[in-house]
Amino acid sequence: MGTVAAVAGDDALARRLIAAGIWPGVVVELLGAAPFGDPLLFRLHGYRLALRRAEAERVSIVPVEGAP
Amino acid sequence: MNAIVADDKSVSTRTVALVGRANSGKTSVLMHVTGSRQRPVNFPGTSVERVESEVRCGDVLLRVVDLPGIASLEAASRDEEVALSFLRSTADAGADLLCVVLDAAKLPIELRLLQQIRGLGRPIVVALTKVDVAEREGFPVDVDRLRRAVGLPLVAVNGFDGTGAEDLRTELASTSLRAASSEAVPTMADGVRGRTSRRSRTDRLDAVLLHPIVGPVVLAAVLLSMFQLVFTVAEPFMAWIEDAQGLVGSWVVASVPDGAVQSFLVDGLVNGVGASLVFVPQIALLIAFVTVVEASGYMARAVFLLDRLLRRFGLSGKSFVPLTSSFACAIPGIVASRILSDERDRLATIVVSPLMSCSARLPVYVVLLAAFFPPAQAGLLLFLLYLLGIVAAVVVALVLRRTVLRGGGSMLAMELPVYQRPRLRVVAFAAWFAVRGFLRTAGSVILVATVVVWALGYFPRSADVHERFERERAATPAGAEGDEARRVIDARESAAHLEGSWLATLGRTAQPLFAPAGFDWRMTVGVLAAFPARELVVPTLGTLYSLGDVEASTDDPDPRLGEALRTTPGPDGRPAVNGLVALAVMAFFALCSQCAATLAAIRRETHSWRWPIFTFSYMTALAWSVAVAIYQIGRLLGFAPA
Repeated sequence: MGTVAAVAGDDALARRLIAAGIWPGVVVELLGAAPFGDPLLFRLHGYRLALRRAEAERVSIVPVEGAP
Repeated sequence: MNAIVADDKSVSTRTVALVGRANSGKTSVLMHVTGSRQRPVNFPGTSVERVESEVRCGDVLLRVVDLPGIASLEAASRDEEVALSFLRSTADAGADLLCVVLDAAKLPIELRLLQQIRGLGRPIVVALTKVDVAEREGFPVDVDRLRRAVGLPLVAVNGFDGTGAEDLRTELASTSLRAASSEAVPTMADGVRGRTSRRSRTDRLDAVLLHPIVGPVVLAAVLLSMFQLVFTVAEPFMAWIEDAQGLVGSWVVASVPDGAVQSFLVDGLVNGVGASLVFVPQIALLIAFVTVVEASGYMARAVFLLDRLLRRFGLSGKSFVPLTSSFACAIPGIVASRILSDERDRLATIVVSPLMSCSARLPVYVVLLAAFFPPAQAGLLLFLLYLLGIVAAVVVALVLRRTVLRGGGSMLAMELPVYQRPRLRVVAFAAWFAVRGFLRTAGSVILVATVVVWALGYFPRSADVHERFERERAATPAGAEGDEARRVIDARESAAHLEGSWLATLGRTAQPLFAPAGFDWRMTVGVLAAFPARELVVPTLGTLYSLGDVEASTDDPDPRLGEALRTTPGPDGRPAVNGLVALAVMAFFALCSQCAATLAAIRRETHSWRWPIFTFSYMTALAWSVAVAIYQIGRLLGFAPA
């Protein structure tokens, strides 16, 4: 679990991530990964979003205290 | 009553555009609000279909248009582009009223999208779907509070049983057509209560279906059952269509006198129409299956599981959908490539889709395998032929992505929706929609092509040849005992006419080109005749190897054609076709672009002739090279007489 700090960049991908609900302060939870560790599955705003590792690396987060 | 009276002056028409994300439940809302009168129409100037439907509500005729899903007001795929340009078009070309469909289960981002749409300055009615799903996922929504916070007309609709659809229809018909103000920004917290911490049904299903080991196994099982369904369930329906084609053909033979007109009707028209119709069951079943997988929420899981693997080959996880469909028929596969957000990914997927061995190749494989190989080897070879197509697709995709289609910001960023039971009506509608599109475009192309091949194979008609066989016929015993002999003579006559036809002249001219692959002139004619549609090859070979009519069939390859293929001598007196040549022919069919309808679909989807021409050229070159390589290497290894 973590809280979104920022989305890096200002290209189509960054705008796509923002449209998907990745905004500063939003809590995201890592649910799991596909075979071989990519892509990753997250939960945010109550829905499930699949992101490639490279896409997820654009999003910096602050870990939530006490969460695994 | 849904009666539509177009010239009734007291009725005013309102065009309502359904806007929302993919998976927000737009199609279900459309069906519940308007009943069953959907009809697919193309967006002007594009090949993207939209669904339109009309319903009368009091004095207002509602014309409801279902737009492709959007995630924001920035287009990321061709579908989204079309939806956005419709939204931005002026009121007389576009919509009078927007019905924004919001998924209650992910309200915060839906509200952001709503906010952007408000900026367009159009009147808006909100349809809130999946309130029950939000509840189950642990995010219950307070609809009244949300309505106040949003400050727009808002109706909750249950996409499954249609509760609330009546209210939504009334709201759409009666709401004022003044533009919605773009203020009143609800905050994330509005109407959403905190998450209750229990695991939902989707969480539990995902624990199995996305498991690193179990997940891929289930996916493989789903794929296998798809093939099974498409091949076995479609079989009897295809047989009926072939029977019906045979009946119509013999009825024409009985009622139209011999000659060019009869031959045109039977060999050109009836067989041409039949050659297209016979694919309808497979297309309908495949699309129904794909729709079930899609609507249940599993498709996104398959994409998730396969993304990394397919990315290695320069494709995307989302390429999985079109490539899988292409095993039945490349045309729905090429259409399905619209879901790919990156244009280069999409083009690469379109260009390699026809390499997947489609159902029309199967009859060719079956006839040749049965004629030249024992059953045990035939099964293995059949598998290898499918594999050949897959390997070729992977290599071509890799090469393309490293050369002409290099780079590109391929994105996944995809929602995995909550699992739900697909609605029968949605599935049936999708199947009907696909069949209709196929019959309209592909049908006409196949039909024209068949008629052209028929004409090339029929003319010029030599009277001398006819005279010669008439004399032979006269020499046969009269009555039933001569019937068999006369049938043989008829078959030989049609073969003789074909040998003298323009098609055969073409075949003999082109034969040196195919000689390195071991094809004799008959096989060359068969290959040439199959360029418009590969299902033409079995009937053509049947005529060429003097059999009269041979029906293309997957389960009962005509043993006489196999026999004739094995025994018809070549110029040196030895059989013209042997196992090695058969392998070369099959590899050629596996890789060659012999389907005018596919090329037409590529033209439609890419809006240029460049990609169909490229696809045709590279596939033909690849097919020829591989066929030659198989024949020449096989000869060197001593598998066939030199």
